[in-house]
Amino acid sequence: MKAPFSPYLLRIKPSLQQLVALLRRDYDYVSVLATDSVGLTVSISRRARSVGSETMTTERGVVVRLYRAGQYREYALNEFDPDRVAETAARIEAELAAQQAVLDGCNTKVYATDALSDEPLTLFVERETEQLPETTDVKALVDRLTALSDRGMAMDERMIDCMTNAQSTHVCKLFLTEHRDLSQSYVYSEGVVIPIMRGEDGSVQNGYEGVSGLCGPELFEQLDAKLDSSMAMVRDLLRAGRIEPGEYEIITSPEVSGLIAHEAFGHGVEMDMFVKNRALGKDYVGKRVGSDLVTMHEGALCAENVTSFAFDDEGTAAGDVIEIDRGILKTGICDALSALRLGIAPTGNGKRQNFEHKVYTRMTNTIFDSGEDKLEDMIASVKRGYLLEGMESGMEDPKHWGIQCIIKLGREIVDGKLTGKVVAPIIMTGYVPDLLGGICMRSSDREVFGNGGCGKGYKEWVKVSDGGPYLKTKARLG
Amino acid sequence: MLNKVIELLRASGVYAWEVTDVKTHGWEFYFIRHALDQNRAKDVEHITLKVYQKDDEGMGSASAELAPTANEAEAKALIESLAYRATLVHNKPYELNPPRPASGGGETAAPDVAAIAKDFLTAMQSLPETATEDINSYEIFVSAKTRRLITSTGIDVTETFPESMIEVVVNARREGHEIELYRSYDSGTCDAAGLARDLAKTMQYGKDRLVTSPTPNLGKADVLFSSAAAVEIYRWFAAKLDVRMVARRMSDWEPGKPVAPEFRGDRLTLTALRSLPNSSKNCRYDAEGAPIRDLVLLRDGVTEHYIGGRMFASYLGLDDCFIPSNLAVSGGTRTEAELRQGAYLEAVEFSDFQVDPMTGDIFGEIRLGYWHDGENCTVVSGGSVSGSMRDFVQALYASEETVLYNNWRIPALTRLGGVTVTGVD
Repeated sequence: MKAPFSPYLLRIKPSLQQLVALLRRDYDYVSVLATDSVGLTVSISRRARSVGSETMTTERGVVVRLYRAGQYREYALNEFDPDRVAETAARIEAELAAQQAVLDGCNTKVYATDALSDEPLTLFVERETEQLPETTDVKALVDRLTALSDRGMAMDERMIDCMTNAQSTHVCKLFLTEHRDLSQSYVYSEGVVIPIMRGEDGSVQNGYEGVSGLCGPELFEQLDAKLDSSMAMVRDLLRAGRIEPGEYEIITSPEVSGLIAHEAFGHGVEMDMFVKNRALGKDYVGKRVGSDLVTMHEGALCAENVTSFAFDDEGTAAGDVIEIDRGILKTGICDALSALRLGIAPTGNGKRQNFEHKVYTRMTNTIFDSGEDKLEDMIASVKRGYLLEGMESGMEDPKHWGIQCIIKLGREIVDGKLTGKVVAPIIMTGYVPDLLGGICMRSSDREVFGNGGCGKGYKEWVKVSDGGPYLKTKARLG
Repeated sequence: MLNKVIELLRASGVYAWEVTDVKTHGWEFYFIRHALDQNRAKDVEHITLKVYQKDDEGMGSASAELAPTANEAEAKALIESLAYRATLVHNKPYELNPPRPASGGGETAAPDVAAIAKDFLTAMQSLPETATEDINSYEIFVSAKTRRLITSTGIDVTETFPESMIEVVVNARREGHEIELYRSYDSGTCDAAGLARDLAKTMQYGKDRLVTSPTPNLGKADVLFSSAAAVEIYRWFAAKLDVRMVARRMSDWEPGKPVAPEFRGDRLTLTALRSLPNSSKNCRYDAEGAPIRDLVLLRDGVTEHYIGGRMFASYLGLDDCFIPSNLAVSGGTRTEAELRQGAYLEAVEFSDFQVDPMTGDIFGEIRLGYWHDGENCTVVSGGSVSGSMRDFVQALYASEETVLYNNWRIPALTRLGGVTVTGVD
């Protein structure tokens, strides 16, 4: 079925259009983004079980963007009364005038920018889904997750908990300007299994496996199949040793490949950072940043996962950008305002944490292209190194092209064979062009992962997905 | 509308309920260099309902946000939905917090957002920038928050407080090469003097960052933490004392017992505090309505009290637990000069220093450090630190001098022994 567009947004739309028209009298550009995204969260653990309706992206509110005399301003509210449009317009203007008085009192200069274009565009998108979070059978989902958790607990006497979590969000967004009228409705879902064990020495470790997709709660049927692998991971972690720090040949699993894609040339080519001269990538467009085997896509259209929208939070249609083509950096990704400042076209990557937050250039799906190698051949080619599995976290460094990836575990490879020895945890660091320049093999399969969130620095959390094939390169591990 | 919601909840027949109403009036300013990128304002209200049901199998809860624009019919429908959903999950029963008086003053006046914003704007224009060290960009967030919590047990408390954050990116350049350093500061209002002092130090770090050598492979080494990253070390202590971790057997720290089998370093004391100067967390009550008070959690390396939310506290038989907002660490026995003796790596900038609350594993890519080999000091970057707090807690030395990072007061210097330092060369 189609994920139905929000009746609430449809109801307030005429009033929002009036608001745009009213404010347009005093401003050269006015846009409104209105959101009404609902969700479902079920969390099961041994000692705490709950049902909630909030996910990372549930929200209901309105943000108004206004432009005049080179300056952009925004006002966010969530008490929009469709019967009091003029009152709301006056409230917005009064609040922004009070802000302006403080700015003027501090002799603040403006980063003068042109007005955004407002080419006519109309879009109404309702994506397919089998189920909706607001109407799915919650009891059946609770029972499924509880049974899964119970099954995990029974699998090993060292288990102290087996957490299962399922989240589904029905996103509805309405974007209006004088000439644009865009509506979209889609559902994405994600679930995880996290078995936790205590070792004989008192140490505690957790495994982690997830599922995600551009679909409804029907996704959670796939979660059962993740239990065995997550249990295997936590068992391996409990018997893991520490790695001898050094540089190694590595093979990254698709999840770790995705982490590298995200941290290296996801954040590295967010072009709002180009405006601030905060990204080295600005000087490398057209230059080599990886081996011939590195081709990377970014865009809401290049995969169907948790952030595959039809238009971004500035009303720009979704795209599919080839950031790196056979090792050559081609372009970055860009929100509309930064694109205007750089004199380029936006790529559909202007995203907000929610209506209360500013737009930044943000990633959507960031993915390495796959190749033609077989994993067993890749392992056979390693003299001494590790197969890296499981993602913990990462940190970008666009200005200096450093990279930090925290990885769950490494499986030792000696003379082309997995030895059975496991090391954990692993911190992988290095210089991005070295890491990408060293990629010499890539598998023919490819996976995309959409669990978790992405911050810009240490805030502004949004959903992203990333992935790729198995990759072979060299890296410094500690 | 809130009164109507409470009326509906009282009439709903559910076992228990909580309503949290948070109103935020916020101003934001974004700058590229010192030119205004854009300014933003927000006026939002978030009403969250949590409903509890109890039956023979146990007690369950369900929660949801109610839009402030919702009408009575929508509120009633939401409560009915929550009442049903809460019956679907079962936990061990417990009672919500009863109303209890808190120490300290009552409701405070709404913070003056404009005045605080002006202080930040003025402070940022007055920084001691030079031709080679300056500000790349910054983002200022100032808000006045009012949080009201009402529960079926009779709690009805309102707190009004300021909350601010500023993110600053500092550049330093030399002979065509430019680097950046990132800072973010949380606070109640604007501490202009503190901001200027720390950013001046950051600019000095920027200068040093331009002349680094690759971090050597040190194997196991002492690492000195002298920046906000050290908060993560102490956050691990707080996590180990959290009833959520204890009840789920993820922490084995027990009252009356030392937190390490033997101490070769300092025996620290960790205290929850009702308030700290200019903290953005100076509240009288926690999110569940429990009064926040000064309480020693860890004394001289021995666990005294757990902290955390009502549910897991009740599972441990604790009736007067609370979720702390401010924490202070003391017990360091050495002066800063004493801690700077011998061979050690002072790591002042990381990509992202982390301590895993469950495993105690530490991680951090070194962006700037000072390697003191006992005689000479080399400015270094690259490589990483790693290891486990489970080991480091036995050989941790801290300074007597303390420093404030919003809601944490911690030793100015923290020295961990036996940290794995993976170098670049």
